[in-house]
Amino acid sequence: MMFRRVLMLSALALGLITALPQTVRAADDLDGAKKFIGDLASQAITSMTTKGLAVSERTQNFRKLFIGSVDLPTIGKFALGRHWRTATPEQQREFLGLFEDMLVLTWSARFKDAADHVTFQVVDAKSDADQGIIVESRILREKQEPVSVLWRLRTNEGSFRVIDLIVEGTSMLVEYREEYASVINQNGGKIEGLLDALRKKVAQLQQRPAAQ
Amino acid sequence: MAKSFPSRSVEAFATCALALGLLAGCASPPSATDPEAVTEYQQTNDPLEPTNRAIFDFNQKLDKLAFKPVAEAYHDYVPDFARDRVHDLVDNWRAPLRLANDVAQGDADRAVETFIRFTFNTGFGIGGLFDVASAAGVPNHQTDTGATFAVWGAGEGPYLVLPVLGPSNPRDLTGIAIDYAFDPLDYSIGELEGFRWATETRGALSGLDRREKAIDALNEIDRTALDLYSSIRSLYRQHREAEIHHRPSLDKLPSPGFSSAPAAGPEISQETH
Repeated sequence: MMFRRVLMLSALALGLITALPQTVRAADDLDGAKKFIGDLASQAITSMTTKGLAVSERTQNFRKLFIGSVDLPTIGKFALGRHWRTATPEQQREFLGLFEDMLVLTWSARFKDAADHVTFQVVDAKSDADQGIIVESRILREKQEPVSVLWRLRTNEGSFRVIDLIVEGTSMLVEYREEYASVINQNGGKIEGLLDALRKKVAQLQQRPAAQ
Repeated sequence: MAKSFPSRSVEAFATCALALGLLAGCASPPSATDPEAVTEYQQTNDPLEPTNRAIFDFNQKLDKLAFKPVAEAYHDYVPDFARDRVHDLVDNWRAPLRLANDVAQGDADRAVETFIRFTFNTGFGIGGLFDVASAAGVPNHQTDTGATFAVWGAGEGPYLVLPVLGPSNPRDLTGIAIDYAFDPLDYSIGELEGFRWATETRGALSGLDRREKAIDALNEIDRTALDLYSSIRSLYRQHREAEIHHRPSLDKLPSPGFSSAPAAGPEISQETH
């Protein structure tokens, strides 16, 4: 018994020691995360407003930025939820491709639109319960209440990947997941129904890339 | 004339109940053998989905035919300055109701803010035409009786789409009826002989202001949604939850349920929260 207690205590002590450097590192990570989001937002806006480029070239630049800063496999799995496991590998691959197209076409237009009349401000950063980081930012609009945007990040050895955007308390990722589940339900529980709806929507967004 | 107020709310209630009763249809819950599907069904919280979808379609048609064109014309033909005055006026009009709810929720800070805003804007802001308080750094917030019920611990109940009014639930519907009947300013001004028009105009302007403010956002959601109904349902429920609990703030954010174990790799848990 005594031996077991010593063993447990030393395991605890070891845990405390190994946990310590992580908390120290976190402060650097938080600053890094703030810089990451500040750079990302300004690059996203620049990519969509560079003069002398066609819309398709701008969108291509935005896509490169998107692929480098968003953890697509993670959010794709989350968005498909329980249907991810019943999907065939082929369906999973097609879904991730279409989901990427959806996100790129949706958010490139939103950043382009934002460039004209808002100011972007990084406010704060904090570790979250999932060992990631949440960066708080604010979108300032003339004569209107500021919009709060939180960026949920996953960290991996000093590099960051966005996994969610929470606009005025509304998680975009949860919204996608609930909408996709509903589309699948409306199609008799078939993932093919969602893929079909995504294909049509992506084609439609490519036709008419930016909001009026 | 005071008597007419409760009867107006009863009327609103009866209309809604009637509309719901006429169209009543329930979504068939998933079989109990699929626990994940059951969890999803419960989280979606929309047992009246077929009815809700029918009312949603009706609202969409009504919006396309009437509300949206009127809001767009208001945006295009009425100058910014005039629209800002309308916005500030109808917002300030709601302040006494907001104050009552801040107090009922036991939120002293917000109650003080609302009180200062109302006195400043009504006085220096010429009857509320100018929101001088925001410029002076006293922030605005939204709250209502439905939110007070939530703070007191009432559950939202199933998701409801109300005719004309849109996304709601039984708790907030009750709140809307009470706010409608007992808005302090509507109530006292409506008491004055020959001033009923003022409260009715206020209601119409308030709706117009809200629809005009939402033009871009709703167009954008419509542009990108695969299924507008479920998209709006998710956005509404999340937004309402955040509004009631004074989110978004870093401290109060719930986790969407990513696995926390780094060793497990990018695994994702199945729960939403």
